Amino acid sequence: MPPLAAFILKRLGRAVLTMWFAITVTFLLLRLLPGDPAVAVASTNMDAGMRHQLLKEYGLTQPLFTQYVKYLDQLLHGNLGQSFTQSQPVSSVLMARLPWTLLLTGSALVLTVLVGVPLGVIAATHAGAAMDRLVQTAGVVGQSLFVPSVGIFLLFFLGLRLKLLPIGGAYDENAYGAGWYLSVLQHLALPCLSLVLVSLGSYVLTMRATLIDSLGEEYCLLARSKGVSERTVVWRHALRNALLPTTTLLGLQLGFLVGGAVLTETIFAYPGVGRAIYEAVTQLDYPVLQGSFVLLAGTVVLANMLTDLAYGLLDARVRTA
Amino acid sequence: MTATAEITSVTAEPTADDPSAAAQTWDEFRRNPLGLIPLAVLAALALIAVFAPLLAHYPGGYGSAVLQPPSAAHWFGTDNLGRDIFAEVVYGTRVSMLVAVCSSALAIALGVLLGVLGAYFRRIDNVIGTVVDLCLSLPVLPLTILVAALAGPSLRTIILIIAFFSWPEVARVVRSQALAVVNLPYVDAARVIGGRHSWILRRHLLPAVAPVIVVSIVLTASRAVLSEAGLAFLGLGDPNSWSWGRVLYEAQQSGAMSSAWWTTLFPSLAILLLVVAATLIAIAYNDARNPRTRQRV
Repeated sequence: MPPLAAFILKRLGRAVLTMWFAITVTFLLLRLLPGDPAVAVASTNMDAGMRHQLLKEYGLTQPLFTQYVKYLDQLLHGNLGQSFTQSQPVSSVLMARLPWTLLLTGSALVLTVLVGVPLGVIAATHAGAAMDRLVQTAGVVGQSLFVPSVGIFLLFFLGLRLKLLPIGGAYDENAYGAGWYLSVLQHLALPCLSLVLVSLGSYVLTMRATLIDSLGEEYCLLARSKGVSERTVVWRHALRNALLPTTTLLGLQLGFLVGGAVLTETIFAYPGVGRAIYEAVTQLDYPVLQGSFVLLAGTVVLANMLTDLAYGLLDARVRTA
Repeated sequence: MTATAEITSVTAEPTADDPSAAAQTWDEFRRNPLGLIPLAVLAALALIAVFAPLLAHYPGGYGSAVLQPPSAAHWFGTDNLGRDIFAEVVYGTRVSMLVAVCSSALAIALGVLLGVLGAYFRRIDNVIGTVVDLCLSLPVLPLTILVAALAGPSLRTIILIIAFFSWPEVARVVRSQALAVVNLPYVDAARVIGGRHSWILRRHLLPAVAPVIVVSIVLTASRAVLSEAGLAFLGLGDPNSWSWGRVLYEAQQSGAMSSAWWTTLFPSLAILLLVVAATLIAIAYNDARNPRTRQRV
């Protein structure tokens, strides 16, 4: 098999394995933890015959393995079960909300990179100087921020005190056409900014450290001795090689970012999957919670796979690794 | 100044009573204010946690002074039910520190065990490595939420959940450090002279990964504080005890967060203080341990 095909196949296999793992863990948790909704419904002080009837209806009298196979079969058909509180399938509840979460986390990710790369470059090229110290301090503090604290702070000052930006929902219901898109951007600003602020710190610190390492490598020395300007050495030689480890980090951060989205969406009443999770928690709507995890895990796994594949196409070293 | 320090360190090294590596690290750490001050902050927070009953009355019952801004009577103001926020934050320190210590201890124990075993017994390494990779590539918070909702909120559940979802990170770091050591000649030598596995693991591998463990403890503990606060903020905290996340949750639930800044500012600062302190300690410890940065200073 050509190495490229083998690489793609291997990466696909890993994505499938990860999803299988996520789904199996969810199944086991649902069956083994005391809060199992079906068991909770069929409470113990119920008439024995009725309880058996209920358990049978939920398929809970079957052997665990049979239940597991049925569960997998349902998921493969996109069936995430029925919401307890909204009397519609979990998949339609969540699918309506997924685009908002994708918009939020996606824009936060892009902004983190767009702001993080220059900051990392400034810090690395001024290593040890005041500028570098400032970026490092900000990075450490940024890394330590609690998502809701940042969100509430932004909501309070930019949203309520200065009235610069709207603080709830995802769009203006009375806006049409171009105005609607503008209102979407305005509503996106504060939740997105909260996420960027919490994810920027570790990205910049990693970018700085990898760049400093790259700048000390021999190919940079060679470029400098050829008379290439320092600017080109930094941006064209060192940065290109520093991008790979930081992109890997970004993949790991995606999971963190999705968690952050749950919290920011809660604060800003942003109608994404995260807000659905918050609502499901208050109503103990287990099928929605479970479906949200499976859906978000799928998104993260897919995004990671696509990043890896793109990188494999661009960088031959990744394929052989 | 620096010249004399360098001379003393150079002359001190070859003497017979060579201080141990740990003592050297501490000696170096002691001189770094960016390590010492955060350590004092953590110690102060621990004291606040222990002596909480001496500092404030337990925030129960409802007061008549509702949503009062900070004053001499209520340093951090009062919440929507007239409870003293200073007291809530002080008692919250207890829960946050308890969760940090317990869940990080559990996560470290599990992570170190599996990380070291994986690096040493190559046959099980594949399994452990794969499980760690799988766990790390999934979004943790939504899964934690599902488990917390299913298991029902209590302090013990929260500690167990956070520990259970933090060990893969520890295992990953410990494993990669242990892998670098396993193939060194002295470990081979220990095997050649017929050392038992348990002896080699205890005597040679654990000490080699110990510095990584120190850093992991600090970072896992600070991340546990954030996880607990996150769960509590979503209403999945222990309803019978105060935590910083719960103060924020109640401010959000009651709508107080949009009118009374003090309901959210002080618990937020407490979280930030603890996490920044822990991060700085980890950085200072790494610098103190690393001979390269030591020489530079």
